[in-house]
Amino acid sequence: MKTKTLKGKSRRPDGYEKTLKENKLLHQYIRKKVNQLLTIMGTKPLNSRGLRDEGIIAIDPIGIISESFGQVLEHLKESNRQLRIARDHLQAVFDTAGVCISIVDRDLKILKCNEKQKELLAKNASGIMGRHCYRVYCGIDSPPLSCPAIETLETGRPVFIKEITKKGKVFQIVTSPLKNGDGTVEGVIEVSMDITEKKKAEDAMRHTEKLASIGQLAAGIAHELNTPLGNIIGYTKLVLQDQAIAQEQKTKLEVIAEQANVGSKIIRGLLDFSHQKKPVLEKFSLNTLIRRVADSLQDTFTAGNIRIIRSLERVPSLQADPNQIEQVIYNIIINAVHALEGRDGIIKIKSRTMKNEVEFSIQDNGPGIPKAHINRIFDPFFTTKPVGKGTGLGLSICTGIIQEHGGSIYVESAPGKGATFTVRLPYKPKTLCGG
Amino acid sequence: MRNKTISLDIIGQMCPACLLLALKEINRNKGLLRSGKANLIVKTDHRDATRTIPGAASAMGYAVSVAKKETHYEIKIEQKNEDENT
Ligand SMILES: Nc1ncnc2c1ncn2[C@@H]1O[C@H](COP(=O)(O)OP(=O)(O)O)[C@@H](O)[C@H]1O
Ligand SMILES: [Mg+2]
Repeated sequence: MKTKTLKGKSRRPDGYEKTLKENKLLHQYIRKKVNQLLTIMGTKPLNSRGLRDEGIIAIDPIGIISESFGQVLEHLKESNRQLRIARDHLQAVFDTAGVCISIVDRDLKILKCNEKQKELLAKNASGIMGRHCYRVYCGIDSPPLSCPAIETLETGRPVFIKEITKKGKVFQIVTSPLKNGDGTVEGVIEVSMDITEKKKAEDAMRHTEKLASIGQLAAGIAHELNTPLGNIIGYTKLVLQDQAIAQEQKTKLEVIAEQANVGSKIIRGLLDFSHQKKPVLEKFSLNTLIRRVADSLQDTFTAGNIRIIRSLERVPSLQADPNQIEQVIYNIIINAVHALEGRDGIIKIKSRTMKNEVEFSIQDNGPGIPKAHINRIFDPFFTTKPVGKGTGLGLSICTGIIQEHGGSIYVESAPGKGATFTVRLPYKPKTLCGG
Repeated sequence: MRNKTISLDIIGQMCPACLLLALKEINRNKGLLRSGKANLIVKTDHRDATRTIPGAASAMGYAVSVAKKETHYEIKIEQKNEDENT
C-alpha cells in the first residue's frame, strides 16, 4: 500500500510536496543547531553520511546535549558556591589574622590589605587602595633605602626584617613574592607583626637583669668594704679617746669618723637594695607610726622652716613590717625636705581607708618633678642630687618594700606644683605569712 | 572497588556520535554517578573521543581518566573527589 502510493506520484494528496519541503527545512535546521551545540562541546559536526536525517531525530541530540548542559550548569553553580565559601573563609582569616597583611603591585601600590593593617598603620588614611604603601604605612614620600618589598620584587625571593620602626611602632616584616600563573612576580605580599609590646617587655627584662647584676656586684663590694670601714670608725674612736691628742688633731679625726660614717650609710643603702629582706609582719597602727616619724623629723627640720602637717583619718590597723613601712615614710619625707632645699615649705601627710587598702600620701609644695624624670625616679641609682647626698636608691627601695607587701606606690607631680607620693597597702596581705 | 561499574561500548562509532552516546549514558546514570555509587567506563577506538568525552564530562563536574588498552581506549568517568572542589 505504502509503496504503491509512493510510486503513483499523481495519487499523492494535496500539499504533500509542500510538507516534504518543510520537513527537509526542519531537518536542516535541527542538524544545523545540533552541529552548533556539538562545536560548543568541542567535537566535529555531524555530516549526512554519518547520520541520516531520520537518525538525527531518533537519537535526540538536542535532548541529550541540553540535559548535559543542565549538568554543566549545576556543576558551575556548585563550584561557584564553593568558591564563594572559600573566598569568605579566606577573607575572614585575612581580616582576623593577628598580623598585618597587604598585597602591593609592582609599583608598590596597595591592592588589598586586611583590617589589622588598617588599624595599625592606616588608621586615618582615606582611599588606601591604589596608593603607595610607603606613603600610607611609613608616612614617607619615597620608598626607604632598604625596602624589603623592593628587594622581593627584584630577587623574587622572600625577605625577612627582624625589626623596623613605622609610625612609632616596632614591626617584624616578611615580604613574599606574589607570582602569577607563569611564575612572573606580579607583586608582593607584605606580612608584618607588631612587636612593640614584646620589645618593651624584652627591654624591661634586660633592664631588670642589668639591675640585678649591678645589685649583686654592689652587694659584694659593699660587704667587702663594710669591714674595713668599720675598722676605720672603730679605731678613730679609740684614738679620739686618747687624752694626749691635741684638739686640732681631734677635729681632723672627727672628720675622718664622720666621712667613714657617710660611707657606711651609703653601703647600708646598697645592701638594703640588693638584699631586700622579707617583711616581718606585725599588727600596728599606721597613724601612730606616721606621727612618730613626722615628729622626729619635725624636730630636725624646724630650723629650715619646713612644716609638717598631718591629716589622718581613722584607718584599720595594718598587718605589715613596721620597720620597713617606717623606712618608706622616712625616705619619702626626706626626699620632700631635699626638694624644698631649706625654703619655707609645707609637707602634708594624709591617711585614709580605701576599699581593701589603707592609703597614705605625702605631699610637698616644692619644685615638683620634671616630665623627663617622672618615669625614672623609681629606678635604682637615678638621682638628681650631688654625689654624697643622693644614691638614687631611696625610692627603688621603697618600691621593693611596698611590692613585697602587695601594695602600690605612685607619684603625681607637675613642675612648679610640688609632688605627691601615694602608697596603698592591703590591710592583711594574703601572700605573706606573719612572723 | 566498592561501587558499581557501568560499561558503555561504542567501539566502531563515528566521532560526533561517540560523544552523544557517551553523554546520553552519563545523563541516564546521573544520579548514580554524581553520588559516587557507580562509575562509567566508555570503551572507544576513536582517538578524538578521548579528548571530547573527557572535556564534556569534566565540564559537567566529573573526574575523568583515560587509559589506553591494546585495541581501544577506556575512559573512566566518576564522582569528583570532594576536596578537589573546595
Ligand atoms: N618630693 C620630690 N620632689 C621633687 N623631686 C623628687 C622628690 N622625691 C624624689 N625626687 C626625685 O627623685 C630622685 C630619686 O629619689 P631617690 O630614689 O630617693 O634617690 P635620691 O634621694 O638618693 O636622689 C631624686 O634625686 C629627685 O630628683
Ligand atoms: Mg631619697
